[in-house]
Amino acid sequence: MRERVLRIGKPQALTAIASIPKTNVAEDKATIIVNSGVMHHIGTCRMSVKIARKLALSGHLSLRFDFSGIGDSTPRSGTQSFTESASSEIREVMDYLEKSKGIKKFTLIGLCSGADAIYESALNDSRVTDLCQIDPYCYRTPRWKFNYWLSRITSPSHWLLFMKYRTGLMKGSSNTDIGEDNIELPTYIRDFPPREEISTGLNKLFERDMRLLALFTNGQPKHYNYEKQFEESMPDVDFKGLFSTTYYPDCTHIIAEPDQQALIIEKIAGWAGATETVTQAVNNAPPLEEAATA
Amino acid sequence: MNPFFFGNSKAPLYGVYHQSDQPSAKHGVVLCAAFGQEYMRSHRAMRQLATMLSRVGVPVLRFDYRGTGDSAGDIEETTAQEWLEDLNLAIDELKDTANLQSVSVIGLRLGCLVATHVCKSRADITKLTLWDPIVSGTDYIAELTSEIKSQPQNKRSNFIAPDGTLHYNGFAINQELQNSLNALNLLNSYPENVPEVVQIISHNNERFTSLQKAWNEYSSFTCHKIDAPGDWNYVDDNGGILLPQPIIQGIVNQYKMREAA
Repeated sequence: MRERVLRIGKPQALTAIASIPKTNVAEDKATIIVNSGVMHHIGTCRMSVKIARKLALSGHLSLRFDFSGIGDSTPRSGTQSFTESASSEIREVMDYLEKSKGIKKFTLIGLCSGADAIYESALNDSRVTDLCQIDPYCYRTPRWKFNYWLSRITSPSHWLLFMKYRTGLMKGSSNTDIGEDNIELPTYIRDFPPREEISTGLNKLFERDMRLLALFTNGQPKHYNYEKQFEESMPDVDFKGLFSTTYYPDCTHIIAEPDQQALIIEKIAGWAGATETVTQAVNNAPPLEEAATA
Repeated sequence: MNPFFFGNSKAPLYGVYHQSDQPSAKHGVVLCAAFGQEYMRSHRAMRQLATMLSRVGVPVLRFDYRGTGDSAGDIEETTAQEWLEDLNLAIDELKDTANLQSVSVIGLRLGCLVATHVCKSRADITKLTLWDPIVSGTDYIAELTSEIKSQPQNKRSNFIAPDGTLHYNGFAINQELQNSLNALNLLNSYPENVPEVVQIISHNNERFTSLQKAWNEYSSFTCHKIDAPGDWNYVDDNGGILLPQPIIQGIVNQYKMREAA
């Protein structure tokens, strides 16, 4: 595995790092990892680097890049919203890889706002064949409500925190003392679209056989709190066996826990590898006529 | 802004070169990053500092130490001694790229420890700026250990493993890295060979004061406080990052005056 810096687009180029495998198991396929929030392309706790290198070591060309204005990509002028510019910049990167390397199929990986951005891209670009979203949009179910209130009522730590807040013993966050001039917050405001909009979108994606891996941390406890919630919240979606999900209740939104980092990297690598197993099986299978007569 | 890999091709370092607006720049600056969550939270500030310096005629190289950022390697296999080698490489790289005879170094937090020890060993450093410095490796490890113990609620991310590895906010410092950091101490390492040494602090604390007291006897040393409070190591669930504009501007102004002189 080796890595190269790529500068994509003009006049303000997007900065990308390509992790290039010694032997590519799928010449026409690449993985793209996008930013979450204003964090630069190495990802939360260096996770994007670790995932990209792990995938490259397993034979997958992987690329992590910065949206314009984030990390090592220069800002671009314009009036586009984040959703619009992110989607068009992901397309720009895919166009570049298609033109320069003949890559026609893409796996996109994103966390939080990055998960939202890659979902939009998948909807608008059929070259996206696989999507891995970490903490994507999600919707409450009756069981979520039951779990949520049960945990609040039965959790001693919740009551302790509640008492601390009430008695003023709870310290504010370390950011509260910082003047606005000294801190930069993401400008993207995360509003979950109506559930029906997402279910319609998912049906379209599964209709074209896109695979989706949805990973959930405990970073959205007011929206998600058990393993099968996503599927249960989308009864009108035909997942066609293309969807897989894992809930990591011991994992924070920024994936700061070393054991959880390892689990998530392995999960993504296994899922990406599964694609190749399927692809190779299909590619190595005899043509249909031959198979029928064998 | 020109990102590239440099150094040993088998274990390259990631750097970003900010070309100066002045084609005949005499001085350049190498930025020495912080570590861990502090590195994540300060990346934007370092980029802005580099961009602004390049606009006042100073070419800049910022880079990732091995085992961090986009540079090769894993943190588990890295020592502070190797980070000193990396900074030496980065300084040479900037001198080659921008055709400079000498450079200045600006360190942030843990980067100050690395910067000072490297500057002390070289004859081509004209200025060293230490921004909210970590005063000693021992101090840093003690600070993290204390933070870990004070946060039992975060015991899955912040803990000391049986082998002694410190896990803090998503980054690991193993025993070997701790030992190598412990060998670095600013209090007894004043870089007398560097003509100008500046400490810039965003707030008062005992550690900054102890360094100021230890170094005040040297005429080449000055300390400036530019108010911009903020916890570099804080993990913001909203993804907020520190961008202390008054300090960035303050450092740039110092170099602006220097270029004008």
